[in-house]
Amino acid sequence: MANFHLEDRIEITRSRIPNAEIAAHVRTDQDGAVATFDGCVRNHSQGRMTMYLEYEAYEAMALAKMQEIAADLHANYAIRRVAMVHRLGRLEVGETSIFIAVSAAHRAAAFEACRYAIDTLKKTVPIWKKEFFADGAVWADGELPHVSAETPAAKPASN
Amino acid sequence: MTVKVLYFGRLKELSGACEEEVELLDGSVIEDLFSQCSASRPELRKFRASLVAARNREFAAWDTPLSAGDEVGFLPPVSGG
Repeated sequence: MANFHLEDRIEITRSRIPNAEIAAHVRTDQDGAVATFDGCVRNHSQGRMTMYLEYEAYEAMALAKMQEIAADLHANYAIRRVAMVHRLGRLEVGETSIFIAVSAAHRAAAFEACRYAIDTLKKTVPIWKKEFFADGAVWADGELPHVSAETPAAKPASN
Repeated sequence: MTVKVLYFGRLKELSGACEEEVELLDGSVIEDLFSQCSASRPELRKFRASLVAARNREFAAWDTPLSAGDEVGFLPPVSGG
């Protein structure tokens, strides 16, 4: 079962993300470092001008996958708290779509954990982005999550 | 048995549905479910190689057996962040 930390803040929201509040949430007097990642909406994609983005998610699964990432961070890095908030719906250029903050006693763990969190989120969390241009819209190219080829010991189809 | 199927991203547009209940033969695996769902939707069928499936909110291989009441999601490449 996931290594669940009460002080973590893992959320999916449809409102503007309060970046400063989230960064402050992970900070304690025992920490010497807070690393943050602010993923924001860029005004261009593959040579086209982006007007806005729309994000959607398989919400229950996405939240569970984000919690798994936080558990991995606690298991593998000397960190204290993790905050990871992803926004859904329509986002305008310049707005934050994902904000991650990690606190640690020392900077190396904070930086590395923050990098692992965003890299893993982009590969494993079921969230999708549609890009809207002046002359049309496309679903962004994404990453196909790796699925173990091994069949899990699933319960039989008929009981 | 009946299972619940969820479509996301471009699959939702291709299938014309975001959610449906599907009646399956006992003993079916996820691949059988996809074949059934895409039988009348050739555009969906074309995406088979660039999809992954999730069973009860966990990524699952195509040969995973299904049980009545399972929730199966068909997921295109993810692009969050």
